[in-house]
Amino acid sequence: MSSVILRNVNKSYGNLPIVKNLNLEVKDGEFVVLVGPSGCGKSTTLRMVAGLEDITQGDIQIGDRAINDLPPHKRNIAMVFQNYALYPHMSVRENIVFGLKKSGADAQTIKRKLADVSEMLKLDDYLDRKPADLSGGQRQRVAMGRALARDADVYLFDEPLSNLDAKLRHHMRTEIARIQHQYNMTAIYVTHDQIEAMTLGDRVVVMRDGVVEQVGTPMEIYLQPTNTFVATFIGSPAMNLFEAKIEGEDLVFDKYRIPASKIANVDMHNLASHETVLVGIRPDFFEDSALSLKRSPSDNLFEFNDIEVDLVENLGFDKEIMFKLGGEDAKARLDLRSHVQRQENISLSVDLNRVLLFDTSPQGMLINAGEV
Amino acid sequence: MASSILIKNEARLGLKMVAPAIGIIGLLVIYPILFNIYLSFFDVQLNGTKTFVGLDNYSDLLGNPRYYHSIGVSVIYLLGTVIGTTVLGLAAAVLMNQEFHFRNIARGLILLPYFAPVISVVFGWQFIFDPVNGIYNHVVVDVLHLTDTRENLIGNPDSALFVVILFDIWKHFPIAYLLLLAKLQSVPKDLYEAAAIDGQNAWGRFWHVTLPELKFVIATVVLLRIIWNLNRFEDVYLLAPNVETLPIFTYYQAFAGIVDQGGAAAISVIQLLVLVGLIWLYVRKVLKW
Ligand SMILES: Nc1ncnc2c1ncn2[C@@H]1O[C@H](COP(=O)(O)OP(=O)(O)OP(=O)(O)O)[C@@H](O)[C@H]1O
Ligand SMILES: [Mg+2]
Repeated sequence: MSSVILRNVNKSYGNLPIVKNLNLEVKDGEFVVLVGPSGCGKSTTLRMVAGLEDITQGDIQIGDRAINDLPPHKRNIAMVFQNYALYPHMSVRENIVFGLKKSGADAQTIKRKLADVSEMLKLDDYLDRKPADLSGGQRQRVAMGRALARDADVYLFDEPLSNLDAKLRHHMRTEIARIQHQYNMTAIYVTHDQIEAMTLGDRVVVMRDGVVEQVGTPMEIYLQPTNTFVATFIGSPAMNLFEAKIEGEDLVFDKYRIPASKIANVDMHNLASHETVLVGIRPDFFEDSALSLKRSPSDNLFEFNDIEVDLVENLGFDKEIMFKLGGEDAKARLDLRSHVQRQENISLSVDLNRVLLFDTSPQGMLINAGEV
Repeated sequence: MASSILIKNEARLGLKMVAPAIGIIGLLVIYPILFNIYLSFFDVQLNGTKTFVGLDNYSDLLGNPRYYHSIGVSVIYLLGTVIGTTVLGLAAAVLMNQEFHFRNIARGLILLPYFAPVISVVFGWQFIFDPVNGIYNHVVVDVLHLTDTRENLIGNPDSALFVVILFDIWKHFPIAYLLLLAKLQSVPKDLYEAAAIDGQNAWGRFWHVTLPELKFVIATVVLLRIIWNLNRFEDVYLLAPNVETLPIFTYYQAFAGIVDQGGAAAISVIQLLVLVGLIWLYVRKVLKW
């Protein structure tokens, strides 16, 4: 295992910059998850680490050696490709052990690894098939097996579970987490799946247009997003943002006045320098006031009264409601026991310790940063 | 199953479309073959009179040492040209699949020998190996001083065989190159990437990705080259008529000196049988089609 360090890494195709000044240190044995919208340069970043794309500018280091000019076959990296890239003329078995054999593993090790991997990925029944005779999800598992069978310094995963059904995905996710803890692998893992990002990552890297927007633990990213992009990209449904005027000590929007001093980590002095701010509230942090769940006098709650519900979606374990707040569409995720109906007037309460404030600049930077 | 219905429909349509062609081919190919088999049992005179001789043509042939010699020459010729064109074509295809400046021009230029008319390039080659003025002897004797004696490579049937092989490789590798390049361009790039990640260097990637991907095209090239060159006449005859491959031997037998059309017919019947057998073996056992 090895650490991976990217220093001021840039990648352009012609004049078109794709990855811009990327800095990232993946520690030895750390599992880093890369998320970001489609086309933001996640695959490109992985491919630079693997040596499949050359680096326009900057340095990449694996362990303590610079690898900018090291060809991929000398980097001892394992990778799951976004489009599998299985060898069509080899059976599943041959695909899985191909890299292992090349690395000089003895017959015993190869046999054991093959058995481990095929059991874990539920591939036992397919070992003698050719990739063309497999379903998409099965191919993806073979691609995964090919990487996991290797004894590599660094593991790169490019959306390795994207084609699996929910149950298999959950199984694989826990398996990956288990292997990760067992072998302490250094890994960079690209995903679009929020749950994978939150559960697998020691740290999460959020990218946009080739720029790293935030690096942090999953909880930091979720509770303290540095800007509105990260705030709305992570979490589903996305965080609600309302524009509020600052009037004295209060944040005012629509008919509501929120006492700013009760919101966590607010520097009132700093706040006074803004005319307007964006108030960010995650749908999960709304509660149906009628339920009065876990309420105690010490709670730092704010009530949004007189809200008209536009739509209720029952998701089974909880329900999502849509409503208008200050003229904006908003969403809340409520407890299953809530009895709200469409077009009903209700009141929702929010824990002010969980409310975030962003400035109204184009970047929308977090104002009330603090401890998680 | 829907797909098998589709396949049957296609087969039926295909049959209708090829029916006229089969008729024409039947007339143009089957008739001469049958006539050839018929002739091989006769002694044919120049004026056209035929005398039935039974299997005499065949026993004469099998007792003729020149026949066995020509078989030996043909085997060497086939081995040399088939391997040579395939390997050179493969090398050229791999090279031309790399990115470099003026690649498109280079890709076109490689095809030139294939387009050039045999009759004109043959004289060029004869000139190269001319014992007195040829560039080959100039380079070997005067420039490199490898030997003192000027050789007439084409004059000597043994060395002429190798000149003929070389000529065929030069003239026909472009077709191998063309077929292989077409396939090479469709090999997914990510297979090479996966192999590199799996620790394979350039040679390993060629061995484990390129070759398996090209397997069937290489096999097709080999098959075509065998068929073409077993019957190759003009290239050999024009460049070095002293190299007696089977077709040349057949020609001498049929039309030169003592004309023996019946004997020549016997040769081609045997050759046809061997060729059919060879191809059948190759297709079933080697290609496993
Ligand atoms: N060879 C190329 N030439 C020009 N642009 C390219 C090339 N390869 C990729 N790009 C561009 O680089 C950008 C980043 O691509 P990349 O594949 O890294 O995105 P991604 O973050 O992995 O997206 P996704 O989530 O859809 O897989 C894209 O806008 C893409 O169009
Ligand atoms: Mg990608």
